[in-house]
This record gives sequence, C-alpha cells and structure tokens, in this order.
Amino acid sequence: MAVLNRTDWYDIARKTNWTPKYVKEDELFPPQLSGNFGIPVEQWESYDEPYKQTYPDYVKVQREKDAGAYSVKAALERSRMFENADPGWLSVMKAHYGAIARGEYAASSAEARMMRFSKAPGMRNMATFGALDEIRHTQLQLYFPHEYCSKDRQFDWAHKAYDSNEWAMIASRHFFDDIMMTRDAISVGIMLTFAFESGFTNMQFLGLAADAAEAGDFTFASLISSIQTDESRHAQIGGPALKIMIENGRKAEAQKLVDVAFWRAWRLFSVLTGPIMDYYTPLEHRKQSFKEFMHEWIVSQFERSLTDLGLDKPWYWDTFMHDLNETHHGMHLGVWYWRPTVWWNPRAGVSPEERAWLEEKYPGWNDTWGQCWDVIIDNLVEGRTELTLPETLPIVCNMCNLPVNNTPGKGWAVKDYPLEYNGRLYHFGSEPDRWCFQQDPERYAGHMTLVDRFLAGQIEPANLGGALAYMGLAPGEIGEDAHGYAWAEAYKHAALKKAG
Amino acid sequence: MALMPLISNFEGDFVLQLIPVDSESTMDEVAQAAAHHSVGRRVKARPGHVIRVRRPGSNEPFPRTMRVSEAGIKPMESLECIWESRAPLAAVASPAQRAGSGEE
Repeated sequence: MAVLNRTDWYDIARKTNWTPKYVKEDELFPPQLSGNFGIPVEQWESYDEPYKQTYPDYVKVQREKDAGAYSVKAALERSRMFENADPGWLSVMKAHYGAIARGEYAASSAEARMMRFSKAPGMRNMATFGALDEIRHTQLQLYFPHEYCSKDRQFDWAHKAYDSNEWAMIASRHFFDDIMMTRDAISVGIMLTFAFESGFTNMQFLGLAADAAEAGDFTFASLISSIQTDESRHAQIGGPALKIMIENGRKAEAQKLVDVAFWRAWRLFSVLTGPIMDYYTPLEHRKQSFKEFMHEWIVSQFERSLTDLGLDKPWYWDTFMHDLNETHHGMHLGVWYWRPTVWWNPRAGVSPEERAWLEEKYPGWNDTWGQCWDVIIDNLVEGRTELTLPETLPIVCNMCNLPVNNTPGKGWAVKDYPLEYNGRLYHFGSEPDRWCFQQDPERYAGHMTLVDRFLAGQIEPANLGGALAYMGLAPGEIGEDAHGYAWAEAYKHAALKKAG
Repeated sequence: MALMPLISNFEGDFVLQLIPVDSESTMDEVAQAAAHHSVGRRVKARPGHVIRVRRPGSNEPFPRTMRVSEAGIKPMESLECIWESRAPLAAVASPAQRAGSGEE
C-alpha cells in the first residue's frame, strides 16, 4: 500500500483543535493550566514547531537510542570502571543521578501538562514526545546507577534524594516546583524548555559527556549523550510559544518568565555543575573550565536565541557575567566544608597543581578563594581536622535555597540582600534572587529554608546529628572528603621540608 | 535574657553563618561567637586586631560594650564582623575586657 510522505499529512493530522459545543473554552482549557495570556485560540494555532515528528518516527529513533545506551552498558559491565575510577569521578555520578533522575520524572508531568492543556496543537504534539522522553530519562538514570548500590550505598540516592529534606534537594525541588510543577502550559514551555533546557541541560549533559569520555567512563558518556539528543529536541517547545507571546503584545510577561527561570537555573547549576567541572573531574581529564563552558554553551547561544526572538538580555546580565568567575567557587567550598550534609564525597580539588590551574583559569583565585583554602590546608597539615568541619549552619537564600556566599579573602564581597515582607525577614544571596521573590511574593513567602525549619524547632536534636537525621543521611551515606585528605600530603611534605 | 539567632558576615570569610547569642551579650561577645565559626577555619587570625561588629554598609561599628538589646538588633539580622587594628583601643582595654573581647 502506498504511504503518503509525512509532509503531505502532518499539518492536517496534528491540528486537532475543534470548537467545543458542550463546554466553554475555559472549561476545556482552564486558564490556570493552559496559560492563555489573553491571546485567542486562533493565534495559538499558528504555533509552528521546528521539529515535526510523528509517533512511528519517534518510536523508531528512540528504540535505537535505548538499544545503543543499554548495549554500551552491557558491553562495559566488566570494565571495572567503579573500582578504577578516581573517587572524585564517582562523586560526579552520585551528584548527577541524585539531582537529576527523579527530576526527569517530575518533568514528564510538566510535559504532560503542555500535552493536555496547551492551546497550540503543535506544542501538544511535541510535548507528547517530551513526556515520553522524560520517562525514558528517568528509567535510564535509575537503572544505570542501580548496579552500584551494592558496592556503595550513596548511589541509592539516585532514587532517594528527591524525597528527602537534604538541603541541596530542597533547593532543587524549590526550583523545579517553581518553573515546571506549578506553572501553566505556556509558562512551562518558556521556563522549563526555553530558559532551562535549551541552555543548561546542554552544559550538564554535553559538558559532562566530554569529561566522562576523558575519564574513561564510556557508559556514562553514552548514557547522557543519548539523553541530550532528546533534550535538544524538546527544548525547542518554548521558542514558538515565545514568538506568539511577543507577536501578541505579551513581551513583558514573556521576558519576566525567561528572566526568573534563567537566573534560578544558573544558581542551581553553579552548585551542581560548577564544582563537578572545576574541582571533581581529575585535572588531566578536564576539557574546559566551567566558566569557559558557560561562555560557549550558555552565554553566546542564549544571547543569540534571545536576539533571534526579539527578547532582551535579562536585566541582571552584568551581574551574571561577573558571577561566572565567583559563585561556583563558593558553592564548592560550602559543599566541601559542610560535606557531611551531602550524599556524595566531595573532592577538594585544591592540590598545588590544581590550584595553579584554578589561578590560570580564574586570575586572583589564590588571593580570594585560595585564602580560605590556605587555612583549611594548614589545619589538615597540623592534624586539626575538626576545624575543617562545621559547627553551625550557613544561611541559605530564601529564593535559591543555597548558601549565601560571595568572594572571600582579599576581595571580600559577601553581602546579605534582606527583605522584610509581611513581618517576616527574608535573606537572599543576590539582587536577582531578591528580585525573583518580589515579582510574586505570595508565591514564595510561605516556603521555609532549612535554616527557617531549624529555628522553628523542626530539626531535633538541634545539632549536626539532628540535621543529618532530618536530611535522611544515614551512616554510610554521609559525605566525606573523596580522597580521605590524601591530596593534603603534598602540603605536609612541603611543610616538613620547610621545617628542615 | 533570651537566646537569639543572628547572622554573621565575617570579613575575609565566604559565607553567612547562623550564630546564637544572648540578647544581653555585648558586641565583643557577639564578635567572639562569630569568630568561632570563621577564624582558624577559613579566615586567618590577625594578631594585633580586634573584631568589631557593625550593621551592613555602616562605617561606624557598635560600641564594644553595647548590648544586643540596647542596639535594637532584631533576631536573624545580619551583622558584619570587621577586623580593626587594636592599637587605638589597647591602652584603654583592661585584661578582663580583652579576655572576652574576641581579640586575636
């Protein structure tokens, strides 16, 4: 039987909007879920998706992708990667799986909201595949780490993290709940796919794939490359929706959604991807610094996307460009210092050679971040390990839920950005974080950070043990220095040599 | 007297931290509580300096003997802890005052 070419029938087949007779339009597409922004349904029907794919095409390609990823895993199961990898690399995997796997599952629900409630038929079609993509990503990223659970129970956090009150997961959930779980279909398209996926998942998945291949972890490299091919497709859901918003006089609303989501994504990736690229990946396997990667994959590409659509750069762009030099160093130092509170073993990444690399990539590092590490190193050299562990909580931002930090040492620039709202004092880590809150205070005002919960008596006993129990970190899961401080030996030798 | 949480923003350190103080603590005692979580951990001690407490952005630190309750500081307010050369005050500070002053 002759089969029509896809281009001959696609447009007719996917235009599935009809005129409802028995219900009103707002009942078929409730505004809170659909996000019509006052734009008539006929305008949404002009949505022109850049990827035109049919279900048979999709299934065929996805089957091949899955076969590829699972085959590589099966072929390399005896490669002893786990036993031979640098402990820092294992931490990369643990952090990635815990932060991402269940978030992907949540994203399938967000895609499903676009699939059902968007008034744009093409968007619904793309989101159908997007929802299936996210389920595939969840399955892959839960299945792959599962084989390591019997060897190292921190890998169990691939599944466990999302349900816990661990501080980084509170931050992650707060972000994803904001941009994808509690927004209408159009806002999800803009905030999740355009602002977050088109930029930041590229970095996490492509950047990390390059580092994984360099580190000899071909299973992980193949897995996340496979996922990224889906991301690069469904990340394009938001672009045509933005075009319709701008053409229909809704640029200001669209710009605000982009600006909130981009800033929030940046803060989260500064703690997830920044330390991985500049501190956890062994020096000899690093392809680019985090800053270089951000410039190549986020700054230039995102700027181009904004210009192409007729949007402006976010108002905080200068702050963002400046913070590319700083924020992730603070997030890393915080994670390492408060290491018992994470489900992976942070790699310090500050051996003499690594410090030379950091100084080269981030001129001035030794006079700023290096000043804090100097004190930590002196304590390890002198055997005062207890001083390299925390006795109090860092203040976390009421928007990003990450520690409020900034440049230390000779460039000291740490600042609180407070705001009193309805009699409660909030603290933010930056002006854009405070601005995000101010755009819709009632949306965020009720949330309690880990510190708020501590002060409200929800964490008992009120000490590190109580905090670890609250966060769900059991013995064997609590983070330690990835190398058991072996990296500090070089400094001990230098100190002994100096002493004579 | 009441236990009161404050936020320490310590000069040279990288992060804001939670510090418990008493509402009747002096500013030198607040400085000491803040120093405990920064100095010798991520900030080098500065011999010949004293730590002064001030509101963010202020050039004028609180008097060293002023109590938290007298300064009108609210719970969870953030305070900057700044190194100041000890020379001008050393001559007038008694050994007892220095012992509890947060001097390094």
